[in-house]
Amino acid sequence: MKDTYIFGIESSCDETSCSIVKNGREEIATVISSQIDIHKNFGGVVPEIASRHHVKNITIVIEECLKKANMKMEEMDAIAVTYGPGLIGSLLVGVEAAKTLSYIYNKPLVPVHHISGHIYANNLVEEMKFPLIALIVSGGHTELVYMRDHYSFEKLGGTLDDAVGECYDKVARVIGVPYPGGPTIDKWSSEGKDTYKLPIPLNDDSYSFSFSGLKSAVINLVHNEEQRGNEIRKKDLTTSFQNTVVEVICKKTMKAIVDKKVKNFIIAGGVAANQCLRNKLKELCEEKNVHCTFPEIKYCTDNAAMIAASGYFAYKLGRIGDLTLNSKSTDTLQ
Amino acid sequence: MRILYIDTTTNYLYGALWNKDQVIESVNIKLDKDLSVFTLQKISEMLSKQNIEPKEVDKIIVVNGPGSFTGIRVGVTIAKTYALGLQKKISTISSLQAMAASSKTEATYKVPVIDARRGFVYAAIYDNQNTPVLKEQYLSLTALNCAIDNLPGEYTIITNDSVDIEKKEQYIPNFFNIINLYKDKEEENPHLVNPMYLKLTEAEEKKQSEIS
Repeated sequence: MKDTYIFGIESSCDETSCSIVKNGREEIATVISSQIDIHKNFGGVVPEIASRHHVKNITIVIEECLKKANMKMEEMDAIAVTYGPGLIGSLLVGVEAAKTLSYIYNKPLVPVHHISGHIYANNLVEEMKFPLIALIVSGGHTELVYMRDHYSFEKLGGTLDDAVGECYDKVARVIGVPYPGGPTIDKWSSEGKDTYKLPIPLNDDSYSFSFSGLKSAVINLVHNEEQRGNEIRKKDLTTSFQNTVVEVICKKTMKAIVDKKVKNFIIAGGVAANQCLRNKLKELCEEKNVHCTFPEIKYCTDNAAMIAASGYFAYKLGRIGDLTLNSKSTDTLQ
Repeated sequence: MRILYIDTTTNYLYGALWNKDQVIESVNIKLDKDLSVFTLQKISEMLSKQNIEPKEVDKIIVVNGPGSFTGIRVGVTIAKTYALGLQKKISTISSLQAMAASSKTEATYKVPVIDARRGFVYAAIYDNQNTPVLKEQYLSLTALNCAIDNLPGEYTIITNDSVDIEKKEQYIPNFFNIINLYKDKEEENPHLVNPMYLKLTEAEEKKQSEIS
């Protein structure tokens, strides 16, 4: 059978990325231009600055990617692009570039949902087996999804307020952990002791999550301790916080796996890089004899390889867009 | 020489196709928020009406600002990706240059003005040979009025915005005049074709004022 090459473009937040993936499985080349050092100065991603850098970088990243793969755009079967969700101004640059490439090279345009990209990052590790439960944990998402087959997404539940990654960022700011907060909390928590008592948020039988209460609990705790003149044991607090988060995520995830009687589990999104969460889920899956896949750490953050991987299956299913494709800041995974 | 002209710096799409010293297709439509949706489709329609393949275009002239930040990025991203992909020549002109080139005035000076809100504008001053007397810049309306008062000859303000200055002329792009004037403008490296915002982002401005 002829190989299928997909050229992927991702620009939904602060990373401009292009990638070429063969048959939805094999990464040929990926280029990521990260703006993390720029946004660090502002304590978070500034949308207008992000958009400005995407325009500056986009053609350089496209060219670099083709060079790295030693391939020509003519050899691609389709152009896949993240159309949403994300920062609208950032998305727009990737979408306009993808539409232009699709037009000038006369290649099919494949719109890809950012979260489906994160899910398919797992297919770059090993072929996804169905049915499965996917846990998506990132700065914008906390969701449990049941997949019967490729591109069949049934949302079981999600966060009612803050996404888990968002909660990490805010808690990091309050405790005084340097930006980006997530990875540092993960690191510090392995060095501290679980000595602070925090409430387990939405500790019920649903598949819903809620993190704003936990965030407020940490904020209140820090303020109260400060008022009393007590020093915060930062590392201990990150341990207590992370343990609470991991406990509730694991509980709901394992419930979904048992309820849906699946034997396959995947995790996706930026917070999937969290070591504590990875280890705990791996352990629990082993106990239940469930096959568990994690994306490589480099594919947990935003990248175009996952978009090209997801784009391959969308392309095979005929999910093709046209030149009027629009970027969307929010959109349901379907 | 076949030239594709793209201007998405306002809420309109101004596009044109030039061949053998004349404008053979053009588009002038209000798209507002849908600029990013329809621009490329409209470009493809202009080309296909003339049976021109994308690779048969020789050069792209893109207006890279000032104007709507998002709008600028639509046109610039399309133009630089197109030029890089098919190895086409590309050059940029400013929206103010396009406005001045389109003017019918017989006055000595042309002053294109774009509202930048809060008492500020993007403006430039050109003489009747379209040579800049005051380069494109972001300045207060007061400063612009001052510059105009010091001009030694007659002038016309060209604007489509409700800016509080006298002697106004509406801006309607004259594609022939614009392309004819800038068709031989030096070509640029597509990677280096970037928006000309003339203004920092609010976050950067805040940071700067904190430092100073």
